[in-house]
Parts: sequence; structure tokens; C-alpha cells
Amino acid sequence: MEIKETAIAGTLESSDIQIMLAKGANGIEIDLESDVKKQFGQQIESVITTTLNQLGIESASVKAVDKGALDCVIKARTIAAAQRAGQTTDEPAWEVL
Amino acid sequence: MDSEVRELRLRNPSDYKKWRTFLESLNIFNFEESEVSGIDLTLGIFSGEDLVATGSLANNTLKYIGVCNKNVVTGSRFNVIVSALVNREFQRGIFHMFVFTKKKYSASFQHVGFSELASTEDAAVLENGKPGIEDYLGEIAESSVSPSEKIAGIVMNANPFTNGHRALVEKAASENDFVYVFVVQTEASLFRFDERLRLVQEGTQDLTNVKVVSGGNYMVSYLTFPAYFLPSSEDTIRYQTTLDARIFRNKIAPRLGINKRYVGTEPFSRTTGVYNQVLAEELPPNVELSVVDRVQAEDKPVTATAVRQAIKADKLSAIKALVPTSTYDFINNNKNELIARIQKGMNINGN
Repeated sequence: MEIKETAIAGTLESSDIQIMLAKGANGIEIDLESDVKKQFGQQIESVITTTLNQLGIESASVKAVDKGALDCVIKARTIAAAQRAGQTTDEPAWEVL
Repeated sequence: MDSEVRELRLRNPSDYKKWRTFLESLNIFNFEESEVSGIDLTLGIFSGEDLVATGSLANNTLKYIGVCNKNVVTGSRFNVIVSALVNREFQRGIFHMFVFTKKKYSASFQHVGFSELASTEDAAVLENGKPGIEDYLGEIAESSVSPSEKIAGIVMNANPFTNGHRALVEKAASENDFVYVFVVQTEASLFRFDERLRLVQEGTQDLTNVKVVSGGNYMVSYLTFPAYFLPSSEDTIRYQTTLDARIFRNKIAPRLGINKRYVGTEPFSRTTGVYNQVLAEELPPNVELSVVDRVQAEDKPVTATAVRQAIKADKLSAIKALVPTSTYDFINNNKNELIARIQKGMNINGN
């Protein structure tokens, strides 16, 4: 899937994560802000990267503001942001879900 | 239990009164027309009948954010209102936004994804979204220039580009290896941004070591900085110009290797006078400041204000000595359009 426009999903409320996706040139670049970055930063980034790769996105500039989201939430928000960015919200990517 | 985030209609007197009373209880007292009129969306959270959190959008800027933390976990309402505002910006297609706030709230905004561009003792400016300042600087940076060279910067509104601007650029170009000319992007002038940029480019075409670029969102015309959260209007200009100077010193100059900035002396405008004074305090020693005397034409300093007044009076002959041919031709070809803009109420008297 190709990123056609900058898109966002998620909120800044507790237990959620806000994912912002924009076009990138050098692979998946993630700028993560999280209170638990030290403990779970790698895990969060790996969930985002894996999910994007499953959607066929190899390059993206990602900004993530985490408020203690669980992996399933991170994955859901990443998919939503990616589908908005790729303008494919009306064709859900079932195989990734 | 808090309500959902709701829209407040400030045109509606009862909403306006609630909103204003709430902000006043949080020590925000400036509701001047110039600050409030730009607001295009206001959101609020209620607890019962009481407003407990609010925030507004004015184009790409978040304003008038106020939160009461009584009886709730500190920060929870703030996070809800800011995410609602950020989401609204995205829905409108605005992916890059700013907030001007008190220094003590800078950390709260950084916590929800904003990054600080500059701060003073009282105030801070932060940005969020993409493209950010790094993307902007990456785009305009001239790759052939090595950081060890002498590189200068000039910021101008150029409304329009005059012989005075030309002389300043020429001087910088002769004294340095490379010169960046930043044209202020804010649209608050008789000449539109694309026109101003074009006239600067045409007027400096022959200078090979000069690159004319957009000032982006970072050479903010200080007239447009919101200042509603400051206690007195006296400090306003100083706070606005200090933030502007610090963004230049801390973010722009190091990335582009700029070690000298040129400004013209300002005999008439008080604001620009304060601005130059603040630059002199803030920029050195990282960036040297060179203040250059204005060029004269027929014993009077050349100013863009004089050019605009001559356009208003339809006396193009008076302009010829003040501007390069490219600017003159543009004014001559677009005279009627420019006069129409003045008649529509565009301020031409400078600041």
C-alpha cells in the first residue's frame, strides 16, 4: 500500500496511542514518545513496524505518542492510520486483522 | 462525570460568557478583537452545567486552552481536549500546527507530542505534526555549501522588494561565501507571498551566491504571534521578537551553518526598532549581527512603505528611483489590482 496523504489515528487519552503517518524515504522511521519507552519502547516500535510491513508499507515517517496502549490497541491504531493514509478505509485489510 | 467534547459557539452570548468567565478564572484576561477574531473553532468539556476544559483553533494555531483539574486526575482533561483539537486539525487537512503558551505549560504539550521550538522565561512556542522544522530545513539547505564557509542570512518581508533590500543583499553577498534570503511567508501584506518571493528572486537573480527561500512557518511575522496569555501588552513585542530570534539562533542558524545575520537600520518603525534591539541581544555570539544603514534616494531613506504610499496615490513616477526594474515592471503591470487591494482596506502603513 502506498501512503498518499498524512493521516492520524488514536487519541492522547490513557491506554491509547496516537499514530501519525507521513511519507518517508528511508524505511520505517518511528519517533516515539512514551512514559514507558524505557521498558516497552522496542516492543511498541516492533508492533508498529510489523503491522506496517504486513500492509505492504516499507517506507513511512511515523510519529507515535503512547499513553500506555496494549499491543492490540497499537496494532489497531496503526492499521487505521495506514488505511487513512492510503485512502483505503472502505476496503479493510482483513488478512492483517 | 464529564461530557463528551462539544463545540462552543462564541457568537452565542451564553456560550461566550461561559467560555470567557472560565478562562478568566484561569487568569487569561485578554479577549481583544485581534486575538479572538481569528478563532474558527472552539471546543469544550462540561461537567454538569460547568465548563471544565476548553481549547480553540485559529488556522494552524491552538489557542485559549484552559483546563480545570478539580476532582480529576491531573492532565486527563488536558489530554482529551488537546487530542480533540489535533484531530480536528487533521480533519481539516492541517497536518502541522503550533501552540504559543506559558513556559510552565511547555512540558505538558511536549508530553502529548509537541516539540519546543523556542522558549523564554515567560513564553514558549511548540510545533506538532509534519512537515516539522527539520523537514523544512532539510528542504531549503544548499548541499553545495560547506559549514566551514562564511554563510549569512537575511529575513525580509519585502513588501515589495526595493533598492534598500537589494543593497542589503548585495552587501551580504560581497562579504560572505553564501547568503540565504528568507522571505516571510505570512500573508498580512499588500503584496501576496508568491509575489514578494518572485520579486526578491528576480531582483537578486544576478547574484550567484544568493539563495532566496520561503521563511516557512518559522520566520513568523511577529505581528501574528498570539499574545493573549501574557499579562500586559507592553511585553508583547519583546516576547514575540525574542521567540523569533531564538528559533533563528537555536534551530535555523546551526542547521544551515549561518554565522552572520544582516538587518537594515529602522528609522521609522518602533516595532522593527525593538526587533533589531532584541536580535542584537539574542543572536551573538553564535550568530554575528550586522546592522546596515538604509540606502538613501534623494536624501530620504528608501522604504517599502514609501513605495506603497506612492502606489496608493497613483504616482508611479515617484517609485522608479526606489525599486529595481523587475519590481517597477510588476507594479506597473498590476497597478489596478494593487490599488483595488488598498481600497478594500489592506493596511499599507507598516508597523
